[in-house]
Amino acid sequence: MTLAHYLAVGSGLFLIGVFGALTRRNIIGILMSVELMFNAANINLAAFDRFLHPGGVAGQSLALFVIAVAAAEVVVGLALLLAIYRNADTVYAEDFNLLKG
Amino acid sequence: MLEHAYLIPLIPFAASLIMFFGAKEDPHSPAPWIGVGAMLISLGLSVSVLLAFLGGAATYERNWHWFSFATTMGGKHFVHDMPIGVLIDGGAALVSVVVCFVSSLVQIYSIAYMHDDKRYKRYFCFVSFFTAAMLGLVLSSNLLVTFACWELMGLTSYLLIGFWFEREGPCEAQKKAFMTTKLGDSGLYLALLFLYSLAGSFQISQLGQFFSMGYAPAAVAAVIALGILVGAAGKSAQFPLFIWLPDAMQGPTPGSALIHAATMVAAGIYVVARLYFVFLAAPDVMALAAWVGCITAFMAAAMALVSYDIKGVLAFSTISQLGFMMCALGAGGYTAALFHLTTHAFFKALLFLGAGCVIHAVHTNDMREMGGLWTKLPVTFWTMLAACCAIAGLPLFSGSYSKDMILAYVWEFSKPMFWVMLGTALMTAFYMFRLIFLTFTGKDRDHEKFHHAHEAPGLMTVPLVLLVIPTIVSGLALNGVIFKLAPKPVLHFQTAAAHEVPADAHAAPAPAPAEAHAEAPAAQHHGDEHHQEGHLPPFLHYLLWVLVPASIAFSFFLYRGPKYPVADALKSALAPAFTLLERRWYMDDLFNVLVRVSDRVAALCFWVDANVVDRVFVDGWGLVMRVFAHLSDLFDALFVDRTVDGFGGLTNDVGVGLRSFVKDGQVQEYLMYAAIAFSLAATLILTR
Amino acid sequence: MFEQIVFWSLAALTLGSALCVVLMRNTVHSSLFLGLSLAGVAGLYGSLGADFLFAAQIMVYVSGIAVLIMFAVMLLGRASDLHLRQVNDRWMAALLVCGVSAVGLCKVAASFRLAFATTPTKPGTHALGRLFLGEYLLPFELVSLVLLAALLGAVFFTHSEKA
Repeated sequence: MTLAHYLAVGSGLFLIGVFGALTRRNIIGILMSVELMFNAANINLAAFDRFLHPGGVAGQSLALFVIAVAAAEVVVGLALLLAIYRNADTVYAEDFNLLKG
Repeated sequence: MLEHAYLIPLIPFAASLIMFFGAKEDPHSPAPWIGVGAMLISLGLSVSVLLAFLGGAATYERNWHWFSFATTMGGKHFVHDMPIGVLIDGGAALVSVVVCFVSSLVQIYSIAYMHDDKRYKRYFCFVSFFTAAMLGLVLSSNLLVTFACWELMGLTSYLLIGFWFEREGPCEAQKKAFMTTKLGDSGLYLALLFLYSLAGSFQISQLGQFFSMGYAPAAVAAVIALGILVGAAGKSAQFPLFIWLPDAMQGPTPGSALIHAATMVAAGIYVVARLYFVFLAAPDVMALAAWVGCITAFMAAAMALVSYDIKGVLAFSTISQLGFMMCALGAGGYTAALFHLTTHAFFKALLFLGAGCVIHAVHTNDMREMGGLWTKLPVTFWTMLAACCAIAGLPLFSGSYSKDMILAYVWEFSKPMFWVMLGTALMTAFYMFRLIFLTFTGKDRDHEKFHHAHEAPGLMTVPLVLLVIPTIVSGLALNGVIFKLAPKPVLHFQTAAAHEVPADAHAAPAPAPAEAHAEAPAAQHHGDEHHQEGHLPPFLHYLLWVLVPASIAFSFFLYRGPKYPVADALKSALAPAFTLLERRWYMDDLFNVLVRVSDRVAALCFWVDANVVDRVFVDGWGLVMRVFAHLSDLFDALFVDRTVDGFGGLTNDVGVGLRSFVKDGQVQEYLMYAAIAFSLAATLILTR
Repeated sequence: MFEQIVFWSLAALTLGSALCVVLMRNTVHSSLFLGLSLAGVAGLYGSLGADFLFAAQIMVYVSGIAVLIMFAVMLLGRASDLHLRQVNDRWMAALLVCGVSAVGLCKVAASFRLAFATTPTKPGTHALGRLFLGEYLLPFELVSLVLLAALLGAVFFTHSEKA
């Protein structure tokens, strides 16, 4: 397997995530798509690390950092979502139009 | 004494300034004696100068530096000097003596004549100032100064004519005099300009040399001579500009005696004589001058025949005698003209002052209200009689010598002109004795006035007596020396031709000097060829001796009594001729018409300016500008404003349009835009 | 050979699950498929020889984040939602965007066609540990602060007024 394969997988995953972020109505759906994008980036990192830096683990360490931050971000996001749901009683993105006008 | 000659004009000038600023206006103030004293000093100086010339002095010139200016012509640098100074020859010395003498006697006379006038002091300032200007003109070496003095004399003449300016008559007269002489002055000014541009100098001596060498083209010389003639015609009341002199009698009589009889009007003649070299270079204009003088003399004498105003007759007679002088100048009688100028000054001043005494006595100018005054005013009568004999040309009196000399030159010049001048001389005798007979002889016509008439005070009669002396004697005295004092100028480049002329002149009057003229032996002492020119052929001489007394007798026959039926019969018989003369040959009407015409022309020009120039050009241009402004405004509104608004609108539309992308507040939409940007970036950058 | 089978199956799993995540109507199913996808990613890590990463992925993502999302879904969802369409009107534009981006990304990926792995894999835990507590100590500590902040934030946001 060459690097191209892994990069292709990573790109595909990323684009699926982009599609989902653009099209899911449910906010949690958008959140899940964002997670997919994170993972795609992680795959790229790990692949680059394996193929272009043999013996080094810098890519993996960065990927770990990404995982940690992504986790934090999911936590905060869900907390926000809960707060919003309490107020607006909806989880659909098209209902949140306070930026209108 | 010649080196002090420059003081001659300056002393009266200083006196006039002292009187003007120093003395106050008081009808009895002693200030006039300052003027008289100054005049006597100038008289003494002029007499000494004249004696120097009689002793054989050469022409004297002395100049001081006045100003210079530098010009650059054709790359070369020129410096023009304008000096100011005196140029005295025999003629100038003679005329200055005459002016000083007459002026001092007039001022003494005026002390009595004007003694109750409220502008007493100012009168004497004007008279002194006038005399200073005249002396400046006579003695100046620079034509600019001459012209300035000429104009100053015009000014003082204006001031003296209109001395009693509360009345309408003097005001109109002063304006008329000034305007008419100004018309003539423009000619003189043109001549001066031509002279300078031709010769590059205003110095009379240099101009004389210039013309003498023949450097002046004939046409230019003719134009210059014409200009000078026009100026002289204005100042010396020649045809057609003599209309101002009769009206100038509105001024005080002694002022008239000085200005309009003896000195100022002679200025024109004098300037022509001073610049005679120009005329010698333009013989056609000289002939014109002679004819102008002849016509003037005849017309004025005719007008004097019908006038009943004592001063009016004297005014016309002045014009006539000036005509004689101009005619003499034109006919080549330079010396004769200056001779007649001198004698005329004396007897005309005497006549005017005498008339002043008469007017002072009877308080009227009209001779029809006078008569039989010889008993009441004996001094006046005898002195005026002497002056009339002189002007009529009776032998031994001064006028006859000068007039005969003039007639001699005219005889040589043109026979028809001679007969006209002879007739004029006879008319002169006629009307002058008419004046004497109407005023002094016969019975009085107005008893009231006659009763109150009395002889004038001493200050007025003494000048009359003093003037009688030169009236009688100056002819005899000057006849011998006049050719030595004032020889006719000669242009050197014409000398070759001129040498033949005296030979002819020798032939004709050759018998004359041998005749019974007292001056003939003296004349033969001078070998001058000109000397032979000044004498009439004997038969004409005898003719004059017969005709002049005849005309006097005719006048006596007509006017001796209180009533003059024959004269009135003649008047009604020749009524149209009389009307013509009383209307002064309609010259006044002619000038009135000219003035009206020029008024109309001016009104027309004004109309053209106001309606054509202003409307078409000025308002039209304004209209064009307004139209242009409207067009600019239109352009501005249509294009510029629209462009500006367009930019604004475009920006607004872009903003609104862009806002339409984000107006819904849909976060996913924003995310979509980001994704679009990312995709474009991805494709464009990454696929490079 | 074995490697290829492993890779392709893992890739298929990951991508297929991801597709299901974004296309499912039922959000609960979506979250389950998310977990599966994340597990597939973990497998890919393993095939790349990143053993610690594999473990971390499973522990954090699959059993942490995916479970959390499942909780959230079930907390916030309604029964009526399960039949509603979950893809909005923009899907065509999104497809276009993704397609265009795919062109660029695949081109980049293709430029690494010839990059083969030359050395055998080796466990990296030891090296990672040395790295984290050596060169990357500061970011390590900062990440712990980030997590703390996230924790606090979550507590703050979800704190109810009424309580």
